[in-house]
Amino acid sequence: MKMTCAEVREQLVFYAYGEVSPAVEEQVEAHLESCPECRAERARHAAFLEALDERQDFTDPALLVACRNDLRAAIQAGRAKSGWFDWLRDVAQMHIPFRVPVGALALLAVGFFGARLVPQPFGGVEAGVAAPMFSSVRSVEPDGTGRIEIAVDDVRRRVVSGNIGDPAIQALLVSAVRDEANPGVRVESIGALGNGGESDEVMHALIGAVTRDPDAGVRLKAIEALKQYAGHADVRRTLAGVLVKDDDPGVRVQAIDLLSAHHDPSIVGILQDAVQKEDNGYIRSRCRNLLEMMNASVGTY
Amino acid sequence: MNGAAETVSARLASPTDEAGLIRAAQRGDEDAFERLVRSYDQSVLRIASNLLRSPDEARDVYQEAFLKVYRNLHQFRFDCSFHTWLYRIVTNICLDRLRRRRVRREESALVETADGVVDRAVQAVEKAPASDPERQMLNRELGSRIAAALNELTPRERTVFELRHYEGLRLRAIGEVIGTTEEAAKNCLFRATQKMRASLEAFV
Repeated sequence: MKMTCAEVREQLVFYAYGEVSPAVEEQVEAHLESCPECRAERARHAAFLEALDERQDFTDPALLVACRNDLRAAIQAGRAKSGWFDWLRDVAQMHIPFRVPVGALALLAVGFFGARLVPQPFGGVEAGVAAPMFSSVRSVEPDGTGRIEIAVDDVRRRVVSGNIGDPAIQALLVSAVRDEANPGVRVESIGALGNGGESDEVMHALIGAVTRDPDAGVRLKAIEALKQYAGHADVRRTLAGVLVKDDDPGVRVQAIDLLSAHHDPSIVGILQDAVQKEDNGYIRSRCRNLLEMMNASVGTY
Repeated sequence: MNGAAETVSARLASPTDEAGLIRAAQRGDEDAFERLVRSYDQSVLRIASNLLRSPDEARDVYQEAFLKVYRNLHQFRFDCSFHTWLYRIVTNICLDRLRRRRVRREESALVETADGVVDRAVQAVEKAPASDPERQMLNRELGSRIAAALNELTPRERTVFELRHYEGLRLRAIGEVIGTTEEAAKNCLFRATQKMRASLEAFV
């Protein structure tokens, strides 16, 4: 069955998005082949769809980092709150004869753990021993008499607190940035290091996170923390590397932001390269603008 | 335009990986939940930002949506894709906000200036000076007109148009996300497209 011009024009909206059945697609195409007016209408519709791409995609990498931090904080706060509230609510709902021993046990536990949490000296910072202990069984050997020998590795959690300037605190944070499996902890550690004073060890840990961390959110945070080191040649080389190698456009944008703070002629070649090879139009235009601000040519000759 | 949906699926190696992550997160594995969030949060923030044109509101939507996921993940029974479930939560929050904004006639992201209508959201993102000032100005004007035209759509039309044109979702998926049939989503897209074309006629 042949389609009329009105029917074809109605279908063009869905045809352009590939949202018509194969049968309808065939009919539309057959009609377009023989109807110049509808072909012109299809061209107008294609121009309209292309023009819609001029709407700027409103995504800001810094906003994403802020959102992730908000969410992490809200979940942590909610978990702490719900744990205690759920427990208190359960106790409150118990029959009165059970509430007394449960309350007494709770007071005993508070006293016991409270005494153990009194801070003890730990280098220049304070440390306390918190209750949780994590054990893993390494070997089990029955001795033939009915007894069993079990080798257990115990890991006890400690709470350490101190000033960001304390070397022991910095060393723990640097170690978390390098080795911690949880990306949330890596982000928090980097945030804390970014608020401390400058040190070569911290700078190299941050450079390591920018170049090697698998999580784009962590890399973004590390670039943010490198602001105070932006004039350092190693940092500028790292950021230039990020611009051509990192697969996350948000991270590349953040690298340009920091590179823009210092007009360093040694990165001109990398910026020119990025103008040629970068897929993302926004990043290309930022590189072009930075080259113009540095009075460097945009193309390579 | 279909890039957004493809990027999300590419980030997770396979649906089995995603199911494994969801099950682990349902058992209380915080790392799994974080990985799940990271797989989708750029899309969530982009949809909220582009629908609401307000960074503050987008930030609120991000938090509200993922907290809902966190609290209700144990109820997720795999009877639809996680992607559909999450987008349903996000679009419901955005639709509520768009509807409230319509009722209250809240201040829009579009402002009248001496240079014409300007989208403040676009202004907020634009930092770099223009390399071709004339072209940049024309593009900015067209960008603001597009934002104004989208603002004239009903919240539902706007959501369908955003998800189809800018996010590349299929109409069937959009129907599932907004809780309607594919046919109704199709009609909604048709009306939105007609309105958009009429509004932008002078520019294309």
